Amino acid sequence: MSEWIFAAPLLCVVLGGLAMMLVDAFVEEKSELATTTAVILIGAAGISAALWSGDYGTAPTGSLMVAWLATDKLALVSDVIIAVGAALAALIAGGYLKEHDLERGEFYPLILFSAFGAMVLARSVDLLTLFIGLETMSLGVYALVAFRRTNARSAEAGIKYFLLGSFAAALLLLGSAYLYGATGHTDFVGIAEAIKTGAADSRLVLLALALIIVGLAFKISAVPFHMWTPDAYEGAITPVTAFMAVCVKSSVFVVMVRVFLVGLAAPELSSGSSGWPPALAALAALTMVFGNLGAMVQTSVKRMLAYSSIAHAGYILIGLVAAAKIGEQAISAVLYYLAAYTVSNALAFGALVFAGSSKREAVSYEDLAGLGRRNPMLAIPFLLAVLSLMGFPPTAGFFAKYYVFMAAVQAGGGMVWLAVLGALTSAAGAYYYLRVLVFLFMREPAEGAKVAIPMRSGYVITAMVFAGVVVLQMGVAPSSYLDIASAAAKLFT
Amino acid sequence: MLLEFVVSLHLLTGDYTSGTYQYVANYDLVPAYGIAYTVGLDGISLWLVMLTTFVTPLALYASWTSIDTKVKEFALCFLFLEVAMIGAFIALDLFLFYVFWELLLVPMYLIIGIWGGKERIYASVKFFLYTMVGSLLMFVAIVYIATAYRELAGAYSFDIRKLSEVVLEGKTQMFLFGAFALAFAIKVPMFPFHTWLPDAHVQAPTGGSVILAAVLLKMGTYGFVRFAMPLFPLASHRFAPTLCVLAVVGIIYGAYCAWVQKDVKKLVAYSSVSHLGFVMLGLFSITRQGVGGAILQMVNHGISTGALFLLVGVIYERRHTRLLADFGGLAKVMPLYTLLFVIVTMSSVGLPGTNGFIGEFMVLNGTFLSRNLPTPFFFALFASTGVILAAVYMLHAVLKMFWGPLDNPENQGLADVGGRELTVLAPLIAMVFLLGFAPSLFLDRMNPSVEAFLRDYNRKLQDSNYNDNVHLLKAEASRSTTQQVALHVGDGQ
Repeated sequence: MSEWIFAAPLLCVVLGGLAMMLVDAFVEEKSELATTTAVILIGAAGISAALWSGDYGTAPTGSLMVAWLATDKLALVSDVIIAVGAALAALIAGGYLKEHDLERGEFYPLILFSAFGAMVLARSVDLLTLFIGLETMSLGVYALVAFRRTNARSAEAGIKYFLLGSFAAALLLLGSAYLYGATGHTDFVGIAEAIKTGAADSRLVLLALALIIVGLAFKISAVPFHMWTPDAYEGAITPVTAFMAVCVKSSVFVVMVRVFLVGLAAPELSSGSSGWPPALAALAALTMVFGNLGAMVQTSVKRMLAYSSIAHAGYILIGLVAAAKIGEQAISAVLYYLAAYTVSNALAFGALVFAGSSKREAVSYEDLAGLGRRNPMLAIPFLLAVLSLMGFPPTAGFFAKYYVFMAAVQAGGGMVWLAVLGALTSAAGAYYYLRVLVFLFMREPAEGAKVAIPMRSGYVITAMVFAGVVVLQMGVAPSSYLDIASAAAKLFT
Repeated sequence: MLLEFVVSLHLLTGDYTSGTYQYVANYDLVPAYGIAYTVGLDGISLWLVMLTTFVTPLALYASWTSIDTKVKEFALCFLFLEVAMIGAFIALDLFLFYVFWELLLVPMYLIIGIWGGKERIYASVKFFLYTMVGSLLMFVAIVYIATAYRELAGAYSFDIRKLSEVVLEGKTQMFLFGAFALAFAIKVPMFPFHTWLPDAHVQAPTGGSVILAAVLLKMGTYGFVRFAMPLFPLASHRFAPTLCVLAVVGIIYGAYCAWVQKDVKKLVAYSSVSHLGFVMLGLFSITRQGVGGAILQMVNHGISTGALFLLVGVIYERRHTRLLADFGGLAKVMPLYTLLFVIVTMSSVGLPGTNGFIGEFMVLNGTFLSRNLPTPFFFALFASTGVILAAVYMLHAVLKMFWGPLDNPENQGLADVGGRELTVLAPLIAMVFLLGFAPSLFLDRMNPSVEAFLRDYNRKLQDSNYNDNVHLLKAEASRSTTQQVALHVGDGQ
C-alpha cells in the first residue's frame, strides 16, 4: 500500500476542490476563498515536498497505482511547481476579483480542479492517464478563460481556445490510437519495449509521433501552433492568464519529457534524422524567432507577455531536444527553467494586476507610464520580473537560460547553433522587455490621459513577495534548486 | 564611496613583482557547475580598480547640483554601478565576470534613461541592446569553453587560471574569439561598432558620461587583455592584424568625426573612439611596450576624458548649450576654467609632461617593434597621424570656445569655476601631472604582470601552433590579405 501515499497531493487538491464548492455556499467574504485555495495548494506542495526523502521506485510494477500514475521524484517536483504556480494565481485572483467585482465562488474550485488535472497530466505514465489529465485540466481552463461572461472579448477568447483546444485534443487522441494500434500498449514503458523489439509497425509509429507532437505543441503554444495564444491570454482575466502561462505549460512540458524520453526513447526515434529531436528542434527555432518578433510589435503589455511566453516555450524546447542526447543534465535544465519561468511569470502578472484598479485596468504600455515615480514599491517587482524574463543576472531567468544553453552546448553538433540562435533571440527579447522599463521609469503619462491607479491588496502583495524572493534566490543561490532538479532527473532516466 | 577609495589604496601595498594574482579569495557558488566567487588582482586590474574608485566619487560629487530629481535613486544607481565595475575588474571566474558585466548595464541604462537629455530613451535602449547582443554571444562562448574544459579535466570550472590551460583546436578558437571579440569590441567601442557611443554620451548626465568614458569603456579593452587573448592565443594572433587595421581606422575616423562636431560633448565622445583605437593597437601589437602603454593609456584616457566631460558639464550647467558656435572669448570671463580646460586638452592631445604623452609614446613604440603585424611601420605611421589630428580637433575646440571676441551677450558675466567644481577637478589635474612626470610609479607595479601575460601568451601560441599545422598555413594566407586591406586604407587617407 505504500505507493498510495503518492496519491496524497492529488487527493488533497481534488478533495479541497470539492470542499470549496460546499464552503462557497456559506461564505460571505468571497476573497477568503482565495486564502483557502492557496492553503490547499501549498499543502499539496508541502506533502509532495515531505515525500521527497521517502522511498521511490520500489513499488511493485504490477500495482494499480504505478500502472497509471508515476511515483518518482519528477512527479514530486512537477507537483510542487504546478501547485505553487496555481497558489500564486489564486492569490492574485483574490485581489483581482474583488477589485473588479467578479467575485463568484466557482472560480476557486475551477482553479483547484484544473491544477489537479495538470498534476495528473504531469504524472501520467500511460496514454489514457495523459488524455484524462489533459482534458480535466483543459475543461477547467476553458471555463476560466470565459470567466468574465459579460465581456465579448473574454467570451471570444473562451470559444477560440475551446475549439482549437478540442481539435488539438482530437489529434492527440488519434495519435494515441495509432500508437496503441502499432504497439498494442498504452503505457509508455510497454510502448518503448514494443518499438525496441521491432514488434511495432514503424510507419504507424511515425504517424502517431507526428500527431502527438502537434497535439502537445498546441498546448505549449509552439509556433506554428500558437495562433490561439495571444487572443486567449488577452481575453482572459489576468489571474487566469497567469495560471495558463504557468501551470498548463509546465505540466505539458513535464509530460513531454515522459512521452518522448520514455515512450518514444527508442534509438531509431530519438537519434538520426527521422525521429522527434529534429522536429522539436525545428519547432524550438521557429518558436524562439517568431515568439520574440511577435512580442516586439505589441502595444499591450498583456499581449506582449503572451508572446513572450511563446518565446520561452522555445527555450524550454531546446532543453528537451538536448535531453535526447545527454539525458539527465538536460532534463534538470528543463525543470529548472520551468520553476524559474513559473515564479517570474507569476511575478510579472501579479505586478500587472497590481498596477491597475477597478477604475482602470493596466493593460497597455501607456497605462504604466511614470508608474516608477508614482509608486516605486510596485515598480521594483516589475523590474525584477522583467529582468528575470529577459534572462539577466542575478535572477532566476538568467540561470535558467544558462542551464538550457549549457545543455545544448553539451549535446554538441547542430545544437550549438540552436544555443546561438537562442542567445540572439533573447537579445531581441531584451528590446520589448526594456520597453516596460522605459515606460515605468522614463516616461510620463500624456497630458490628460487616464492613468492606471494601483490597487491595494494583501493577496497580490503576498504573491509578489513570495515570487520575488524565489526569483532572487534562484538567481543568487541556484545550487540547492539545481540539486533538486538533478535528483528528479537522475531517478527518472 | 570616498571610504571605498581609501580602502582601495591599501591594495597598492600588495606585492605585484611576481605578476601573479594578489588578494585571491575563493568561495564556491554552484559547485555542481564549478561556478565560484573567485576574485583577485594583478598589476593590470589594480590600476583599473584604482581608477574606478578614484573617478566614481568625483563623478557623483560633480552631479551635486545638476541632478535635482530623484537624488536618492541616482546615488543608488551609482553605488550599484561601482559594485559591478569593481566586480568585473577583479573577477577571476569567467561566470562571475559575466554576471558583473551584465549587471552594470542596468544602472547605466537607468542613469542615461532617467536623468539624461532629450533623446535619452533612444540612447539608453540603443546602449543596452548593442551591449546585450554582443554579450549574449559571449555567454554561449563561455559555456562552450567550460564544456570543453569538462571534457578534458572531468569537472566544470570557470576559473580563468584553469581555463587558460585549455588549448582549443584552431577553428573553434576562431569562433569563440569572434564571440568574445564582438562583445568587447562593442564595449570599447571599436570602429565600426561605435555608433552607440556618441548617442549615449551626449544624452547621459555629466556624472554618467564621466563613468561611461572613464571606466565602462575600459571593460572592453580589459576583457581583451584578461580573457580573450589568454584564452584564444592562436585566434588573437590571427585576428591581430585585422583588429589593428580597425583600430587605426578608428583612430583616424574618430578624429575626423570629432573635428567636424558642433557639439563639444559629441566631440569628446568621438575623441574617445580615437583614443581607444590607440589602446587596441597597443594591445594587439603584442609587445611589452605596446601592451604596457595600452594599459597606461586606459588609465590616462579615464582621467583626461573624465575631466573633459566634467568641464563640459560645468559650462553646460551655466549656459544649457554645448554648441561651439554659442561660445567664444570665454577666456575673458572664465580664466580659471580656461586654464583647466587647456591643461586637460594638452593631456588629451599627449603633450610631453602630461600623462597622455607617455601612453601614446609607448603604444607607438610598441607598434613599431611589433613582429606580429605585417608592416608595423605603416600602422605606426597612420596611428601617429591620429596624434596630429587630435591636436587639430582639440585646439580647434579650444579656439572656438575660449579665444576670439566675446560677442555673445549671454556669455558675459558667466561665473568662473566654483569651489565644489574645483574640488572635483583638482585631483584629476594632479593625476595628469603625476602620471606625466612619474609614470614609473605605475609602470613598476604593472610591468611584471604585463611580462607574465606576454610570456604566457607566447608560450601558448607555440603550443597551439604545434597542435595545429594546417590552420597555420591559412593564417599565412590571411596575413597577406589583411596587408592589402591595410594598404587600401592607407590609400583612402
